[in-house]
Amino acid sequence: MRAPSTGYGLLTPVLALLVAGFLAPTAIMALLSLRTYSGMQGFGDEWTLANYIFVIGDPYYLLIIGRTLMLGLIVTAACLLLGFPLALFIQRSRPAVQTAAILLVIFPLLCNIVVRSFGWMVLLAPRGLINEALMAAGLIATPLDLMYNLTGVIIGLTQIFLPFMVLLLVPALQNIPADVEAAAFTLKSSRPRVFLTITVPLAIPGIITGSILVFVLSISALVTPRMLGGPTYKVMATQIYDEFMTNLDWPAGAALAFVLTVIALVLIWGANRVAAHFTRGFSA
Amino acid sequence: MMARHPSWLLTLAAIAILLFMNAPTVVVVLASFSATEYLTIPPQGWTLDWFAEVLTDDGYLRAISTSLLLASCATGLSLILGTAASYALHHRMVRGVDAILSLVMAPLVFPAVVIGVALLQYVSLLGLRGHFIILVLAHVLITLPYVVRSALSSLTGLNPQVEEAARVLGADGFTAFRLVTLPLLKPGLVAGGIFSFVTSLDNVPVTIFLLTPRQTTLPVKIFASVEHGVDPSIAAASTLMIAGTAIVLILAQRWVSFSRFF
Repeated sequence: MRAPSTGYGLLTPVLALLVAGFLAPTAIMALLSLRTYSGMQGFGDEWTLANYIFVIGDPYYLLIIGRTLMLGLIVTAACLLLGFPLALFIQRSRPAVQTAAILLVIFPLLCNIVVRSFGWMVLLAPRGLINEALMAAGLIATPLDLMYNLTGVIIGLTQIFLPFMVLLLVPALQNIPADVEAAAFTLKSSRPRVFLTITVPLAIPGIITGSILVFVLSISALVTPRMLGGPTYKVMATQIYDEFMTNLDWPAGAALAFVLTVIALVLIWGANRVAAHFTRGFSA
Repeated sequence: MMARHPSWLLTLAAIAILLFMNAPTVVVVLASFSATEYLTIPPQGWTLDWFAEVLTDDGYLRAISTSLLLASCATGLSLILGTAASYALHHRMVRGVDAILSLVMAPLVFPAVVIGVALLQYVSLLGLRGHFIILVLAHVLITLPYVVRSALSSLTGLNPQVEEAARVLGADGFTAFRLVTLPLLKPGLVAGGIFSFVTSLDNVPVTIFLLTPRQTTLPVKIFASVEHGVDPSIAAASTLMIAGTAIVLILAQRWVSFSRFF
């Protein structure tokens, strides 16, 4: 029998790192977000909810929070809309095609997010490939605003998180027994009807897991919104970045960071509850 | 049996979606070889000038070496600490295994930008900002979940009797682990190590808050450069990153099959 002391010996470095490097920083940020603060004197000694009231009550911050959540919803919907047909194609293809398609899904996942966002900048810029091509074809006279606004951020985030959606939907679809669909066809069900009443409902666990993952990743994203949204079109993560790096209003940044964290954690917790309802031994 | 082949409409949609998914990477690679400042279709000539510019630029070279050093240190430390911890967790040597596991995985669940700002505030209060070791520890924190998950799944697939046999034959705990268990864990650890290396190499949202103005990593430098507009040398630096990741993965394929991730 192994002594517990050995176990603690093996775990101590990791536990020390997690306590000193993760729990302590988060706890301290939580405490400081509840302190008064002024640019001149730094942190005060009094407890206050002022930073949270400021963040949740200010129309500008509310706009950013609302915009971030809307962005999350749109990107999730776009990933489902594009991911489902692709996953269906992969599930129904021959093994060789399957492997090739999965490789093409994984390849972008392995490329750095900064690099992929930069690729979108090359494509979407006012003098980028898409505008140049459209102008050369005579379809538009002036460049379209594809970047530094909502459009650019949606396109970039959808491409960046789509692989996760596809990789979660493929196993969900593969878990549907072929007999069930075959039975429905035998009973003279039409193709769209089988799709809507059999395929989609049975893929629900995968759809929920994928959607929550994409939503949480989208609302937390910093790099892509910054690169494709530019310095002016802000979401929560880029606003937090600016509070800490440019405005140096740390308590407001910390309060906004905790609002984001709470939204993310509640969603993940909820998704785990829902997924546990559908499947056993779920791990994401 | 229902026909197991996609309709032509579905095939067409899938091809379009796969094109959309790979377009930005392809465009970056093309732009890095393009002779013109702005990429045109068809491209007007090819050049390697942008690569020469990046590879002779002190700033880029320092960023590349910082990135590689950081990813190597973080992955090494993460593998050692993570394997030790996984071993103890797998054998349930302590109480509260589930709680510890949740704590290890927590940095994966928290928004990365939140971890970044929390560390910035903490490190500034302690007066430790700018030390390389802080960057390494921060990267260990975000790569540990991959190593631990990978090590735990390898340990689960292991026959516990092999190590017991070594113990019966007189090996002490560490020798049995080193000579028997560790070689059997190797594929899992290599996979975890690669994931950890790539994660560290790619990270921006945590790293950017911990750098001083004099330090930078390659992705952070690319991220900061685009504020001044699209420039082909950024495309060349990006292509180097794509190539680097591809080389790591191709080398890795000799040890592990990537099907284990999916």
